[in-house]
Amino acid sequence: MGISRMKKFQFLLLDAGPIIKLFELNIWVDFVKRCDVTICRTVANQAKYASQEFEDIRVDLEPFEEEGLIKIFDSEPSVNKAFYEKFSERYKAIIHDGEKQMLAYLCDSSENWLVCSADGAIFRVLGLLGRIEQGISLEEILEKIGLSQSNLEWEYTKKFCEKYTRMGQVDSIQDKGLL
Amino acid sequence: MDIGRKLKIARDAIGYTQEKAALESGIGKSSICEFEKSKREPKFSQLSRLAEVYRKTIDFFLSDELPIENLMLWRDAPSIEEEIKQTEAEFRQLCKQYHMLEILTGEARKAKLPEPDVNKAEDFTFERAESFARKVQNELCLGDIPSASLKRVLEERYFVKIFHLSFIGSAISTVSVEFGTAILLNAKNKPWRRNYDLAHELFHLFTWNIYRNNHKQDILPTPDEEKFANAFASKLLMPEDSLRQRIDLRKNKQGQISLVQLDEIAREFSVSLDALVYRIANLFRIKKEDTEKYLDVAKRLAESHKPRGSDKPDKLPERYCSLAIRALNEGKLSLMQFAKYMDMNYRQAREYLTEDGDFKDEKISISVT
Repeated sequence: MGISRMKKFQFLLLDAGPIIKLFELNIWVDFVKRCDVTICRTVANQAKYASQEFEDIRVDLEPFEEEGLIKIFDSEPSVNKAFYEKFSERYKAIIHDGEKQMLAYLCDSSENWLVCSADGAIFRVLGLLGRIEQGISLEEILEKIGLSQSNLEWEYTKKFCEKYTRMGQVDSIQDKGLL
Repeated sequence: MDIGRKLKIARDAIGYTQEKAALESGIGKSSICEFEKSKREPKFSQLSRLAEVYRKTIDFFLSDELPIENLMLWRDAPSIEEEIKQTEAEFRQLCKQYHMLEILTGEARKAKLPEPDVNKAEDFTFERAESFARKVQNELCLGDIPSASLKRVLEERYFVKIFHLSFIGSAISTVSVEFGTAILLNAKNKPWRRNYDLAHELFHLFTWNIYRNNHKQDILPTPDEEKFANAFASKLLMPEDSLRQRIDLRKNKQGQISLVQLDEIAREFSVSLDALVYRIANLFRIKKEDTEKYLDVAKRLAESHKPRGSDKPDKLPERYCSLAIRALNEGKLSLMQFAKYMDMNYRQAREYLTEDGDFKDEKISISVT
């Protein structure tokens, strides 16, 4: 039996915020052992760049990729173009490039991916797209894999995820955001 | 238009060679060359990196349309073309971000700017520039000391986008169909110099349709237009009545006023002593050779002024930051995007997230009917 078959989350896309937080909490290694993590290249670059501001955290995902503990993918701009063209001008500006790549990948795939983010805008887009069950907070994942943490900041909580998903759902009901 | 062609356009617009683009982006020069010739397409992450280096959004490359870049009017432009392009690229990026924040928060508003009573550029005179300055002072309710409120009124009531960057040159103004009116000031300049530049550039904004109508979009300012803009700036910042009042208060029995006292008046109006001397020379019809003598002493006096901490302006306008924080907390801007817009790092950006950050709920709205 391969290691990946024992993992809890098989189709998990991680955004930069949770990646940095997991390094900050010093549980990244445990996390990737328990979850099947996939990251898009732009998010990996962002996480690496953003972590340079932290004195005690260095996010270097390459060794984990080389060891096969995580997967990092890049995509063709045409995949993102098709995704991007669905949105109104306002929604196009909401998310950053890495998140655009991640969500385009999720929408293009037939697998039931989960996105773990600490970003209201990501959950809002998922709510708008009617993919509410595909957004998950870091708090929920950590609970499910037995790595629960107390005092997680607001942006990593289930409440945060729900709040912004709801906002996207409201936009969807009001027919805002999609062309 | 394909991505390769747009990559070339974007690189040219910022004035980078392929070597410089490779150095800045960390992507090999040969790859950049192949992308531009459409021999192969960049991966999304490479395109994202190049968009960042070229100060464009990824949407610029993914969209089928090619936006038309608007004219930028320079005051004291540098002689090096690359300097001009890089400053314009940064300024344009900030203006577009500002406009996007306005759209995201539902605050994209337009206000009619004051217009001079002149329809053609040929009809402009110094007298008309002066009467227009008075009109602007009244319409904008700038009061006795216009410099004290000019910038704020322009930003908050007329939605002019005003940024400060450190660059070679004094100022830039532009009017765009996409993002509206905008002015860039040099953060390295002293406050009085920036005030003067702001008033000068304002003349260009207010008279944009007269000097640059639809048929003459690319017209650069003529020497006459620049002189009228200076006259307008001088009269706007130092209104005759308030200036005469300050002088009357300080002049001696012989009707004379010392340069030290003039320096005090210049400080109060937040203009340079030079500008005040010119204004007084014009107001009291002082001979050219005498004016030059005063200017010489004024220069030496100005050298004794030490810079103050408050002289350094913020790069981003207050309204811009306020809209960005709102957009973040309403889930209308991702944290990474917020950090980029606010020119801060990820850690600093995280501190702006608050649990009760969304105050749009109607339950806590105040009735004002």
